[in-house]
Amino acid sequence: MDEWKHNPIIKPHKKRSWYLAWKYKLMNQRALRKLCQTGAVLFLLVTVIVNIKLILDTRRAAYEEEEESAQDYDDEMLNVEAPRHPVSNKKVLDVEVYSSRSKVYVAVDGTTVLEDEAREQGRGIHVIVLNQATGHVMAKRVFDTYSPHEDEAMVLFLNMVARGRILIFTIKDEGSFHLKDTAKNVLKSLGSQVAPFLSWRDMWTFVGKKGGEVYGEKHAKSPALSTWGDPVLLKTEVHLTSVEDAECHWPDTELNRRRRRFCSKVEGYGSVCSCKDPTPIEFNPDPLKDNKVFDVPVAVIAGNRPNYLYRMLRSLLSAQGVNPQMITVFIDGYYEEPMDVVELFGLSGIQHTPISIKNARVSQHYKASLTATFNLFPDAKFAVVLEEDLDISVDFFSFLSQSIHLLEEDESLYCISAWNDQGYEHTAEDPSLLYRVETMPGLGWVLRKSLYKDELEPKWPTPEKLWDWDMWMRMPEQRKGRECIIPDISRSYHFGIVGLNMNGYFHEAYFKKHKFNTVPNVQLKNVESLRKDAYEAEIHRLLGEAEVLDHSKNPCEDSFVPDTEGKVYVMFIKMEQEADFTTWTQLAKCLHIWDLDVRGNHKGLWRLFRKKNHFLVVGVPASPYSSKKPPSVMPVYMEPPAKEEGAVAVPAVAAAEQT
Amino acid sequence: MQKVNKNVVLAVLSLTSLVFLLFQLYYYKFYLSQKNGAVFSKARGSQSGQDSTRWHVVRKFLGLISSHNIPVYLIDPLILGLIDKDIEQIRSSSDGPSPECKYFCAPRDFTTFALLDKAWKHEVGLFRTAEKMGFQWLTVLNKDPRLDGMDDLSGTEIPLHYIFKLASHAIHLVVFYERSGNFLWHGPLRLKQHMDRKFVPFRKLHFGRYPGAYEKPELLLVSIDDLKVQIPKNPSSFLEEMSHSRFLECRYREARAFFQVYPDDASVDAVEFRKRAKSLLHLAALTLNNLGVKFWLSSGTCLGWYRQCNVIPYSKDVDLGIFIRDYKADIIPAFQKAGLPLKHKFGKVEDSLELSFQGDDDVKLDIFFFYEEDDFIWNGGTQAKSGKKFKYLFPKFTLCWTEFVELKVHVPCETLQYVEANYGPDWKVPVKTWDWKNSPSNVQYNGVWPVDEWDEVIQIY
Repeated sequence: MDEWKHNPIIKPHKKRSWYLAWKYKLMNQRALRKLCQTGAVLFLLVTVIVNIKLILDTRRAAYEEEEESAQDYDDEMLNVEAPRHPVSNKKVLDVEVYSSRSKVYVAVDGTTVLEDEAREQGRGIHVIVLNQATGHVMAKRVFDTYSPHEDEAMVLFLNMVARGRILIFTIKDEGSFHLKDTAKNVLKSLGSQVAPFLSWRDMWTFVGKKGGEVYGEKHAKSPALSTWGDPVLLKTEVHLTSVEDAECHWPDTELNRRRRRFCSKVEGYGSVCSCKDPTPIEFNPDPLKDNKVFDVPVAVIAGNRPNYLYRMLRSLLSAQGVNPQMITVFIDGYYEEPMDVVELFGLSGIQHTPISIKNARVSQHYKASLTATFNLFPDAKFAVVLEEDLDISVDFFSFLSQSIHLLEEDESLYCISAWNDQGYEHTAEDPSLLYRVETMPGLGWVLRKSLYKDELEPKWPTPEKLWDWDMWMRMPEQRKGRECIIPDISRSYHFGIVGLNMNGYFHEAYFKKHKFNTVPNVQLKNVESLRKDAYEAEIHRLLGEAEVLDHSKNPCEDSFVPDTEGKVYVMFIKMEQEADFTTWTQLAKCLHIWDLDVRGNHKGLWRLFRKKNHFLVVGVPASPYSSKKPPSVMPVYMEPPAKEEGAVAVPAVAAAEQT
Repeated sequence: MQKVNKNVVLAVLSLTSLVFLLFQLYYYKFYLSQKNGAVFSKARGSQSGQDSTRWHVVRKFLGLISSHNIPVYLIDPLILGLIDKDIEQIRSSSDGPSPECKYFCAPRDFTTFALLDKAWKHEVGLFRTAEKMGFQWLTVLNKDPRLDGMDDLSGTEIPLHYIFKLASHAIHLVVFYERSGNFLWHGPLRLKQHMDRKFVPFRKLHFGRYPGAYEKPELLLVSIDDLKVQIPKNPSSFLEEMSHSRFLECRYREARAFFQVYPDDASVDAVEFRKRAKSLLHLAALTLNNLGVKFWLSSGTCLGWYRQCNVIPYSKDVDLGIFIRDYKADIIPAFQKAGLPLKHKFGKVEDSLELSFQGDDDVKLDIFFFYEEDDFIWNGGTQAKSGKKFKYLFPKFTLCWTEFVELKVHVPCETLQYVEANYGPDWKVPVKTWDWKNSPSNVQYNGVWPVDEWDEVIQIY
């Protein structure tokens, strides 16, 4: 634009002398002059016309374009989102913390970030972590320090929080009964003056920066054992720092970009967010040779337990032969933090609008997840189903790769599961050994697409039926006499303590001592003998070589099995008909294995290990293997304790429990 | 003096004009042709400069793609059309240098490639390299239709289209996804509010106005215009497929609303019937596809798809429609060979033809033949005992693909009109007792078959 404004003025001046000479020369040639003038006028006209055309063209083009893009290709979903930055550009946060017997709340700049006044819930110390630069809530936890071991979990959590974060504490109901000195000292080191002296039913609030200043603390002592301290309300101000100070300076790579996003949002994941030498988020385990399950989709069923999910995905991504491309995490509900964890590992996550309640909600989530898995991977013949509270063995995929062809070829199989219900530290021994069992253990298993599409999906329990999906799958109408293949030593470990059907006591009694394989590349033994008929031959061979134990001794005693290694023993118990598990249940109880319902049986036969010997239990006369019993042997009968009859409710272990 | 002034003025004006003209040329060349090459490149005709630009852009793009090991194949209808003319020659010719740039220099605004989603890992690195090479790019994301089933799932949005722009040419990369009916699907191109509507003239794109369904193509690696590129093995059949590729998604949201009002029947009988109907439909589709006969879901089966995205459990049969012009005498023997004996045959090819085959376990397969008139389409019905003829009228319709019980099948694109013609405005209300002679709202009495023809037009087995 500038050019043509200046030029006309400058150029004639420059050219004046040349022009004058030329003009006088031509003075007398009027005709020529006329011609020149006409030429110039014509030239001007042409310019004007071209100009007008240009303007028209430009306008038309612009108009067409607008029209084009306006129609057809517009997304009908016009979601106008005004991004809200509640605490941006503010230097100071107003924090309000309330502690009382029946209610706690925390408000940051007028926004309530925690409110709990539910009865019989949320007892203990509530902890909130805020980002020191933005004021966003990064973690919210409650530790029921009235109960044992919860203080240890709190110490663990507080240690994982990065320096500089803002910590808010408040007690609901009672938080001191099992608050040990270690925990009190940690609180003291955070700057709390009151923590070391916290006692029964005291109310307490505290706001401070980890490794820095204290913004406020309030405390109300309980006057007597039977009463609570007065409610306390702490109002204080917190000064925010700059974003640069709040973040680590990792090299700028794709992985670190994911890490940065994650670490600026959530807290409580420890070293993955440490500025110095953070834990890797990519594992690159060895690939498997001839991996038969490389293209099998893996569905991870998750709820809102992001810490569990984090632990689970770490172990899954470290397993040899894993293919991250095939993993999808299904989250039951629109929870942000589990999704953040999924994105940290660069996996794909899908959220599911919760349908129904309790067990039915889990069951509907399962159905939606399985349907979606087979939709997303239409070529897949199988799907691996995992839950968020499982550790995955390093040879999980190797185990499946060696056995999956059985599921394809043997119609009498229902599933392959990584979990042996009876595989405890003292009852499992051989990582290369597989069994066939009539019960479906779940907890890391492979589902055949045809089974799901043709049988299970069309009649899956509807939302109003409050059934456990796994109980439903175990029902004879669904199982139709088919069996599952399981390993002797489990390839998954159930670490979840919090859950729908789960609590600390239950976990300690039935899950903690479960054996978990840590040996890589285990070569499975005799996989072909797991086929329907071959397995029968195998069992008969085993029973043939087995030594019959002395039935006069107490089977619960250790001395029942001789102090040998690597031998095969058999015992016979009373089992009047197929569903008579009276003696088995008592035996399971005294052997400290799963006794809440019958698991791990195959035609009235159980296989486990005792003192490193293979130990077979045959139910007589219901089992077809009863014929192996020498006539002289009297099957063991154990009577159930009379008082407990009918009083024990059998808790089901649904897998994706929700808190 | 006056005259001198006049000359001076004229000269000044001329100079100004000259500057103006120069500016306009500059404007044409650098501003407009780049921003909207489409509109203006045509006016400039096939200048060699422009031609080689296209070739260069394609070459750069192929380089970019192969450096990231991403397999793409050419689906540009324009170029495939040109290739198809010389297909024999191209197939047989070896890698020798080609004398002229025949295909990739052809005048056009875009070159379109396809990418199988399965074949790449969504690496961000690709886009960084693209930027370094001078490409501007745009991604069109949208909801994943594979999650749109009966349950409320929402995943991360998936990329449906990529556009890479360099100078005055753009590459349109269409992402194809595998769907459960064992076919490939690409999504529609819809711009979100914040997107640059003028990035390219979107309306001129060959893919994206509607979603599309395709068979998995067999590919062929060819060398054309000195570039190695994968193309569909049979370009002409691909182009033919492309012209009828429009895909309709089932209306899952409406189906959910329907089941809210009328809960689904989950009884053993219903489950069993659905299973049988599904396998019968799979068998019928296989048989007809092998014969190359185009068919669509009709009557109750179409209603089931449209209203509840599933087989209606009390419908007792599977209904298909076929245009009479697609009729083949082999149809009956082919079904018999597939294990479906003929149950009855009404009418004749010239009038009101209707076939019925007996599937396993009491499920019947009804095939209605449709006759096209100038402003409507009809099919016929015959009452066996009286020889009465009926006529069912439908407004004109075209065929679209859809996915139904894990099958890629046709349905009328104008499904609502079709269903309404058949079932009236209250089609949303389930009716369990259906009389095919009176209940349909489009039925017309059509006289009686002459008695001497009965042996031919009423055959019951």
